Amino acid sequence: MKKWKLKTKDRHIHGLSQLLNDKQAILYHKEDLISYDCDGFTIHKSLPRAVVFPHSTEEVARIVKYCHDHALPFLARGAGTGLSGGAIPLNNEVIISMVKMKRLIDIDLDNRRAVVEPGYVNLKLTNQIIERGYYYAPDPSSQYCCTIGGNVAENAGGAHCLKYGVTTNHILGLELVLPNGEIVEIGRNGVLDEPGYDLLGLITGSEGTLGIVTKIIVRILKNPEGKQTVLAYFDDIEDGSQAVSDIISAGIVPAALEMMDKTAIEGVEAAAFPVGHPKDIAAVLLIEVDGIAAGIDEQIEQILSVCRHRNVREVRAAKDEKERAAWWANRKTGFGAMGAISPDYLVQDGVIPRSKLPEVLRRINKISEEYDLRIANIFHAGDGNLHPLVLFDARVPGETEKALAAGSACLKVCADVGGTITGEHGVGIEKREEMRFVFTDEEIAAQTDIRSVFNTDNLLNAGKLFPSPSRCAEVKKEIKEKIIG
Amino acid sequence: MNEVLSIVEYLTAYKLDYEMSQADLYGNSGQYTVYPTSEEELSEIFAFVHKYQFTVNIQGAGSKRGYGGLIDQADLLISMEKFTGIVEHQSGDMTLTVKAGTKLEDVQRYLEDFNQKLALDPFMPHVSTIGGVIASNDSGPKRLNYGSARDAVIGLRVVYPDGKVIRTGGKVVKNVAGYDMNKLFISSMGTLGVITEVTVKLRPLAKSTATCIISFQGEDRNTIYSFTRNLLNNSIEPISCELLDPIVSYKISGINKLSLLISFEDVEKSVEYQIKYIQSLIEEEMNLIVLRNSEEKQLWDRLYQLPIDKEAEHNNGEKLFAVAKIGTINLNVIDILLKVMEIRRNTNIDIYTHGGVGHGLMQLYIKGEEREMIETLTKMREVTNENGGYCIIKHLPLAQRLVFDTWGETKGAHYLLEGIKTKVDPKKILNRKRYVGGI
Repeated sequence: MKKWKLKTKDRHIHGLSQLLNDKQAILYHKEDLISYDCDGFTIHKSLPRAVVFPHSTEEVARIVKYCHDHALPFLARGAGTGLSGGAIPLNNEVIISMVKMKRLIDIDLDNRRAVVEPGYVNLKLTNQIIERGYYYAPDPSSQYCCTIGGNVAENAGGAHCLKYGVTTNHILGLELVLPNGEIVEIGRNGVLDEPGYDLLGLITGSEGTLGIVTKIIVRILKNPEGKQTVLAYFDDIEDGSQAVSDIISAGIVPAALEMMDKTAIEGVEAAAFPVGHPKDIAAVLLIEVDGIAAGIDEQIEQILSVCRHRNVREVRAAKDEKERAAWWANRKTGFGAMGAISPDYLVQDGVIPRSKLPEVLRRINKISEEYDLRIANIFHAGDGNLHPLVLFDARVPGETEKALAAGSACLKVCADVGGTITGEHGVGIEKREEMRFVFTDEEIAAQTDIRSVFNTDNLLNAGKLFPSPSRCAEVKKEIKEKIIG
Repeated sequence: MNEVLSIVEYLTAYKLDYEMSQADLYGNSGQYTVYPTSEEELSEIFAFVHKYQFTVNIQGAGSKRGYGGLIDQADLLISMEKFTGIVEHQSGDMTLTVKAGTKLEDVQRYLEDFNQKLALDPFMPHVSTIGGVIASNDSGPKRLNYGSARDAVIGLRVVYPDGKVIRTGGKVVKNVAGYDMNKLFISSMGTLGVITEVTVKLRPLAKSTATCIISFQGEDRNTIYSFTRNLLNNSIEPISCELLDPIVSYKISGINKLSLLISFEDVEKSVEYQIKYIQSLIEEEMNLIVLRNSEEKQLWDRLYQLPIDKEAEHNNGEKLFAVAKIGTINLNVIDILLKVMEIRRNTNIDIYTHGGVGHGLMQLYIKGEEREMIETLTKMREVTNENGGYCIIKHLPLAQRLVFDTWGETKGAHYLLEGIKTKVDPKKILNRKRYVGGI
């Protein structure tokens, strides 16, 4: 048998390969690296130096230490489904792919927790325990393929976080490799409120810039006893928006409260999971209530009555689990469905106070007219998390730039009404500049100060999350250096 | 040449509301106490103390003076007691912004008119400020369903030790723009900055509530364990599932038995259904009482007041009173609680406890003389370590805190905590030595 040999002169590829138990668990040929030049944010591309596939925490630690000692930029990557470019190797990074670390280490139903490796796929956890009456709550639309490690990095949300919270509310403990290669445990045994600053909360959502998570203790929940889903069609989007506010004001906390507008409906009906939404309606609401079965009917009645008050054209509860599942498949594949009506689309992720919904939808409509691009709206209406989908054609010169500008304008509107620029997709490289819509230079510096405690040399996932220093800040720094110098 | 302005000169010059203060049993005080009423005042005070490196302690209304800290008096104590009021309530968006010195009870009372609540159940809500609750991440039995400050807070305004004002998070319920900096200040014990404004998400007030007390005749571990485990694995959705030792049970309900406190909050049909369900689980050796309305409220009030012991405060320090918080793996609460009962039987010390079997957090109370108090705390720390958890001291006089470390051993990642403190407060002027490992 022919002996396997690395075919490169790059001494670091040789160095990294030596650290792996499986010496071949490394990619370095350009043709292999192309698959890693971007993640779910496909507008910006850049090749990594290499991709390594560790199988254990110790291997991750060795690789990180090597990168640290040799000043090689590096980053961690899960399934690459991130939508803001957090895993794109801007600086020719060594990518540490976590997909081989995909074991379910432990399930402890009595104490409501599970221990997983970061490469473990989100939906697999629920599938493992649902028969026994339990599930893992965070449910991003990509849950059939995204990893829990990636969910921690992005603090992923999902349709059902209205009632149950986002990833950070379900993480009990982490093992992570710090950027210097040291292994630390936070939230030992998944016990709540470990004394000390809340590093668990800080690391969750830090977009892979503070360390590489190698083990995760998650909270699992009991399946709700009952569940019911309602579909409501509105001829006027303002009526739909008002119905959302009315439901919440009535003291109901739905498990999910989703909305799609006319353009979005056109997309989902043309794609793989059509359910027969009428083409001429302005908005559809998908409302799910769960909990103790005895209490659900009353809440459903209230929801139906609220919708009728707001001139609903048609409103009804799902007749069985099959219909409910079809409605959800139609909604959850909504982003991809835009491919059926547009060659390209850009997903945005702003959040607004719920009460500003009608105003913001009007303003997004205006942006659509101004930029002459269609914008579909699919969103988690219950928590004000909008996903404007800017439809464009990358083959038309200048249209990509126009789409990016339109997306940014949507985020500006969200920030202007007191909201924020991202609810669950993260900042990544996509929204770095938009961070200025919501934070001052000083507030951004307060955050990069914290980064420097963990990521001293900024070798781990550099260039993400924060805008490049503003002119003003640069000038200030120069002056300060002169004074100190 | 600039002369160093004394604190008094500064406070007088700026016409700030202050008084000279006395050191007391609990430490964490200041030679002078100042009562800022605006963020500008606070920011200017910090710019001043930072410049001259005066040390500062910070407190809300002072209910947690016995919680950590190794220093008797700083140069200045900043009290947030007068920094109160609702800033903004977006009822339709179910968000509230409130000044940090506002008492938690006042916040809840304000929200009641809107059929809303802040889903937090810390101890002593009538004296605790929302800022203090957040800085200590205090929570009670309803943590099981409510979560804690780290789940409710969506935004903060914080004055840094150099006087700059930083906003963290925002005013919307879902937000991943930048690091989740809120988390840094929640449970930081005031060592990183002074929280001035808090934005929280709200929940609707439940349409119906009820609390079940299930008391056990005996104290057999297996009976309690299998009953509790079975209860948690059923499809009911309790807001609390708190195990009380007979002393705590007696103090709050008059029933001198080991008991489970199970509460429900939902629409009426659901609450009634769940009570019926509990009734169906009750075995021969158990007794069930269902409390509603004012009876229910009074029971919970008594539980939240347990950390205030008037008797202990008035015996001139002969007997000390300590309150501790224990964290463990959920069901280990049962073993730790039984251990506490054993210690009570075998020693003279007055010790009692309760804990959430669904979240693993316990509250422990001890009354006794210094020597036996320290011995018992040492023992409890051993027991909790064996159960995979920790035991920290929420209330103890300064003299004993100097002997028995409030926080216990530091962990491997401690240098990160020190690094964070040094970045934010390089001159170490704020709440010095208040937190883990002398941070």
